[in-house]
Amino acid sequence: MKKILTLALFATLIMQSCTNVDEVVYDKYAATDFYSTSQGADVALANVYSQIPGNWNGVGYAGADNGWYDVNSMSTDEQVIPHRNTGDWELTFAQMYLRQWLPDHSQINNTWNWLYKSVFNANLAVDLLEKSEADPAKIAEAKVMRAFFYYLLMDDFGNVPFFTDNNITVDKMQQKSRKEIFDFVLSELKDNIDKLSSTKGGTYYGRFNKWAGYALLAKVYLNAEVYTGTSMWSECIAACDVVSQGGYTLHSGAVDTSNPLGSKYFELFGDVCPDDETILAIYTKAEIVGRNIFTVRSLGGADGTALLGYGGWNGSVIPRDYVDKFSDNDIRKHQFRYGSNPYGPQPAGFFTYSLDITNLDNPGAAPNDGARSQKFWPAAPASSSGASNDFPIYRYADIMLMKAECLVRTGDATSAKPLVDAIRVRAGLTGLATNPTLTDIYNERGFELSWEGHRRQDMIRFGTFTLAHGLAPAVDDHYKLFPIPTAALNTNTNLKQNPGY
Amino acid sequence: MKLRFLLFGIFMFAGFTVHAQEQYTVKSKVLDEKKEPLIGVSVSEVGTHNVTVVDIDGKFTLKVSSSTSLIKFSFIGYQTVELPANKIGSSITLNENVTGLQEVVVVGYGSLRKKDVTGAVASVTNENLNKGATTNPLQQIAGKAAGVVITQTGSEPGSSPSIRIRGITSLIGGSDPLVVIDGIQGNVDMLNQLPPNEIETVDILKDASATAIYGSRGAAGVVLVTTKKSEAGSTQIEYSSTVSLDMISKKLDMLSADQWRAQRETWGVPVSTDHGSNTDWYNLLTRNGYTQNHSIAMGGGTAKFNYRASISAILQNGIVINSSNENYIGRFQATQKALNDNLTISTNLSGSTRKNTGSPSSIGRASFTSNLITNAYVNRPTDPVLNSDGSYFSDPNVFQYINPYAVAQTVVNDQTVNNIFGSLKADLKITKALTVGWFGSWRKLDGNSGYYLPAISTVTSAINDNGTANINNWHEDERLTDASLNYKQVFGKHSIDAIAVYEWQKQTYNGNYTQMRGFINDNTTYNALQNGTLTKIVPGDISSYKNDRDLVSFLGRVNYSYLNRYLLTVSVRRDGSSVFGENHKWGNFPSASAAWRISDESFMKGFDFLSDLKLRAGYGITGNQQGLYPQNSLQLVGSAGQTYFAGSQITNFAISQNNNADLKWETREQINLGVDFALFNSRISGSVDVYKATTKNLLFNYTVPQPPYPYGSIVANVGSLLNEGVDVNLNANIIKTKDFNFSVNGNLSLLKNKVLELSGSINGVPLNTDYVSWGNNSYLIKGHPVGTFNILQHLGKDASNAETVVDVNKDGVIDGGNTSPDRKLEGSALPTYTYAFSPVFTYKNFDLSMLFRGSGGNKIFNSVRSSFSYFESLGKQNLLASAVPLGLFTSKYSSDLWLEDGSFLRFDNLTLGYRFNTKGLKYISNLRLSLTATNLAIITKYSGLDPEVNVNGASGFGSDGGIYPRTTTIAVGLNVTLK
Repeated sequence: MKKILTLALFATLIMQSCTNVDEVVYDKYAATDFYSTSQGADVALANVYSQIPGNWNGVGYAGADNGWYDVNSMSTDEQVIPHRNTGDWELTFAQMYLRQWLPDHSQINNTWNWLYKSVFNANLAVDLLEKSEADPAKIAEAKVMRAFFYYLLMDDFGNVPFFTDNNITVDKMQQKSRKEIFDFVLSELKDNIDKLSSTKGGTYYGRFNKWAGYALLAKVYLNAEVYTGTSMWSECIAACDVVSQGGYTLHSGAVDTSNPLGSKYFELFGDVCPDDETILAIYTKAEIVGRNIFTVRSLGGADGTALLGYGGWNGSVIPRDYVDKFSDNDIRKHQFRYGSNPYGPQPAGFFTYSLDITNLDNPGAAPNDGARSQKFWPAAPASSSGASNDFPIYRYADIMLMKAECLVRTGDATSAKPLVDAIRVRAGLTGLATNPTLTDIYNERGFELSWEGHRRQDMIRFGTFTLAHGLAPAVDDHYKLFPIPTAALNTNTNLKQNPGY
Repeated sequence: MKLRFLLFGIFMFAGFTVHAQEQYTVKSKVLDEKKEPLIGVSVSEVGTHNVTVVDIDGKFTLKVSSSTSLIKFSFIGYQTVELPANKIGSSITLNENVTGLQEVVVVGYGSLRKKDVTGAVASVTNENLNKGATTNPLQQIAGKAAGVVITQTGSEPGSSPSIRIRGITSLIGGSDPLVVIDGIQGNVDMLNQLPPNEIETVDILKDASATAIYGSRGAAGVVLVTTKKSEAGSTQIEYSSTVSLDMISKKLDMLSADQWRAQRETWGVPVSTDHGSNTDWYNLLTRNGYTQNHSIAMGGGTAKFNYRASISAILQNGIVINSSNENYIGRFQATQKALNDNLTISTNLSGSTRKNTGSPSSIGRASFTSNLITNAYVNRPTDPVLNSDGSYFSDPNVFQYINPYAVAQTVVNDQTVNNIFGSLKADLKITKALTVGWFGSWRKLDGNSGYYLPAISTVTSAINDNGTANINNWHEDERLTDASLNYKQVFGKHSIDAIAVYEWQKQTYNGNYTQMRGFINDNTTYNALQNGTLTKIVPGDISSYKNDRDLVSFLGRVNYSYLNRYLLTVSVRRDGSSVFGENHKWGNFPSASAAWRISDESFMKGFDFLSDLKLRAGYGITGNQQGLYPQNSLQLVGSAGQTYFAGSQITNFAISQNNNADLKWETREQINLGVDFALFNSRISGSVDVYKATTKNLLFNYTVPQPPYPYGSIVANVGSLLNEGVDVNLNANIIKTKDFNFSVNGNLSLLKNKVLELSGSINGVPLNTDYVSWGNNSYLIKGHPVGTFNILQHLGKDASNAETVVDVNKDGVIDGGNTSPDRKLEGSALPTYTYAFSPVFTYKNFDLSMLFRGSGGNKIFNSVRSSFSYFESLGKQNLLASAVPLGLFTSKYSSDLWLEDGSFLRFDNLTLGYRFNTKGLKYISNLRLSLTATNLAIITKYSGLDPEVNVNGASGFGSDGGIYPRTTTIAVGLNVTLK
């Protein structure tokens, strides 16, 4: 009997070892173990930032292509990539400029997916940081990041699905109104931005510190009327004033012969964004952390080789009506290249671009049509797949113009004048002869902030977005919101498309 | 204790037998039906090891123990005859085994006589394999079995054809069948380690009642290969060789330099795009290729022992310059019996090394990426190859211009794959009925590739990096062991063959990849990565991985037959696998099938023309887990590039996928009804099978809503897929005389595929997946076949020569969305019928066989034609001559203008052979010379290079984005057997 028992025990043991089919993971970490430490929570916060630099497939805020930046820039009067009569460039960019996009437009879809993946990452970071009872500043930072993404979602898409718990199922996720999202963003910012660190630069370079938080809050107030119908100009002024307490000034616009574009001003768009003016920057190191393609994408093939040593893409151009508004004395005009005597270097074999663009889609523009941008003169390491220029999300010149705008809108143009004048003088111009009008502010924003991702929001706020400009005819007002992507509508039947699409 | 006595008894008995006195001598001749001597027939005294082999005159002499001893005559392809010694006259005639009913069919974990098979099993024996300079065993069975579709896309050296058994069984889980070579299980790529010359038979299990024994690996069918073994009593050396000349069978008709210039003027393209040359890029990049197969095999054996060893070399020089493949394979196998034949141990060892020099498979401009040879169509015929200084020409004003000739000449792309597998099988007969068996196999694969893309290749990324070099190493380790118990007994009219097996498998995969950029010069290519620039390393340049899979199975099968007329097979398998989700680690896969040999019934006595008639019916459930990769079910965190945080660049980590703890195998339910028949003394024979197979729990990257999911899809088991069809095989011996024979083998399969459901729910949350893009304008649409084209209809062109399409719903807007009402269903990328027929003539020592193979009912989206037809692109590339009459400048759409009928009939193989009369030759027992031509002609409406494009059912199939050219080959073959 004992023998049988021993045998049975032995057999059971063998059976168990022979029937073990548990999965062993060798080369990744189990999410539960990985994130349960405070180090894991930090990594989760870093991961939220990892989605900000521009990268292929429409990832990121700015720097690469086919994502948020292109959607919010090509849809305006400041840039477009025409189809070329030599066969280059798909029509997706021209469709953006001509406001011909449909709900299945790939760039709109990329933007949506990037933003919601970022919300997911931010939710995860908030959850993990709270669970690990991390530094309240870090929890606040993750929450401000989440508010930032919801602000961008509401700005582009209006009524959008809302969730703060990643374990939610889609049937329980409601599409909230633009107003509800606005309220969430506002209360989340108010609750958290004062907990953020007030350190500028250093370990806070490229991160939301207190000043960046207030800059974001100011943006939300500035556009409140667009989002909710109720303006909040004075609240915006107050937020701008908090930013000023951060000790920001305008970076120098002095002549600098060592700069390819001849002015220290362009350091703002160089390898590292200077701390004096920049409030929030995107750190970029080509091929490693994001990339900045804006100049190489603009320059013609062999022109790139002549100027930079590698081929350009012959892509984005600035429509003539936009270029023509710049005064010849404005150092900011040096961001453009056109004509036989262009700004910037003129090595052997450089191209002569014409200011006019003959056609955008069929048969397309001639190879050298259109002014090019060299605002982000490529910082090393750089190649034809992008450069290492950091990108300013918020800088003090923007805050000054925001404050000036609110002052004008609230009837205090006199107080607005020195703010606008300071920016004009830095750019080599004289101050305004009279107190600034809204048109002055609008134009100044165009001169100062071109190609920095603010134009769509500004044009909508100033009521010019759907009007005719350059080669684009006027369109219906429903284009002020992008459509909710077809893919999102198909997978969540609760979603309602924006009117007009 | 008992066993030991028993064995002792067996030894004693054996001893007596061996020493018993020989009392009777049998002396006779063995002839075939044509009264020709049948050399090599094995003649043995039943129940002893007393054996001899018939000589070249057909004669034999065998001393046997008594005049009533039973003498057995056996020979492959002939019916075995057993006669008492004293009944043997001056000659014995063996009949050819026309129906093959006595043939043994391997069915997995055992074998059956063909007459006892109850499932749908196709067998292709050595003599029926396609001849010629074949480089992969699948090429040898193309067109040989109904329901088994072999597709070879292009003739790239080292490329393998795809095989689909009864259609597309899975969307992402893989529809490749399981391959079992002499008991060793593996994926289809294992066939690369099998020399075409060494195959004895290929048995293909098609229906679920046959494949269920392979459980969660059986859904897509099973290909069982039995390699050649030496016959007892013979020793021989065989040499066979085939050498072929390979030529391009078709080129696309592109604009010549003069035509391009004329069009440039017509369309007003800037003259700066003309670089003043006259280049035929395609000619520059191609040549005549050749393929050589050489193989030496030796073998021999006695009744207790046999062995076979072979060395084979398959050498290919492709028709695209700098593409070649060399495959060397050594094999050894031996079988030894002991313990008075009660213990049989056999071993198999095989090693191979395969070296491939490939032309890059994915290269080009951003606007057109394809294989290198298709890029030869892209470049303007007016572009020079070289600049005046001798460097390779490149045009900086064309975005990402590449010079394909520079790429072909300067890119180094080598791959070496070493493979070793071995197995040991031991069977011990405990009693007459009971056998215990043990089997173990181990397969190891070590692959290594090196790639160097120098800046002079003109490729933009290489110029950016100043040369890119990488090395990739990968290792696969697959172990299997099983223990089995087999019981075989006849009780009067009942006979039972039952087997129970425990099986354990472990598959481990690991590897590493290293890339370096920035080289001072190109001399060391990828051989000294340390010569690169360390600061240029970017995320992804260094990586390694490891994962594994455990599979544990319990399985059993009973074959029961009553009166040899009523046959029943029941099998069940229980599989557990580590790759399944936490909630579904184990699955059961049962099957049952039955057959009725009507022709053996007494009431069939009057129907003499019916030589055989058998009805079969089977049902089974199989699974598919091979497409389920390790780690899919888990929520994991992996590295995700670099990020910048807190003032420094750090490694970023992110959740790498949407996890699904409910992940499990796909299940495929299949019902099969079949009939096997033979008429007029087996002059006509064949089989018809109808089947219906439903894949449930369909594994797919289901679309999930974003938000809340961070990724747009999740691997889950939700939908279902249907395949139903008919397989018909027919063989007819039309003329059969002493000198002249004419027979035809043919097969036809009809297949209907349908996506039944793509929606369902995960964790109670509804998923709406439909109109999933599955290629160029092809979709997965509920109720329609996989790869259904849902496409805008071409109408014409407008005043500015832009294409116009039909506005179906007349709303004034052409909607390009997946579910757009302007799109129209226009057929599927999946062929609905495939067929083949093969006439075979023999006249005296000549033989002539042909193979015609075709398929149809499918459409192909000719993506190459659409890429080379719009004049907007003329300034940067060449166009097809057919673009001129179309005169399209551009199109906003991708319409059915490029959708073409994919039907074809190919004259695939013609082989003429002559067997020399070796009678009287002292050293040669067999000498055959042959001439084989392949791909002689094709009938098709398809305008692209070849209508045989990818029909594997995976995403992107059914679209022709440029293939390696298909060759027409002429091969000379020699087979010699020395004695």
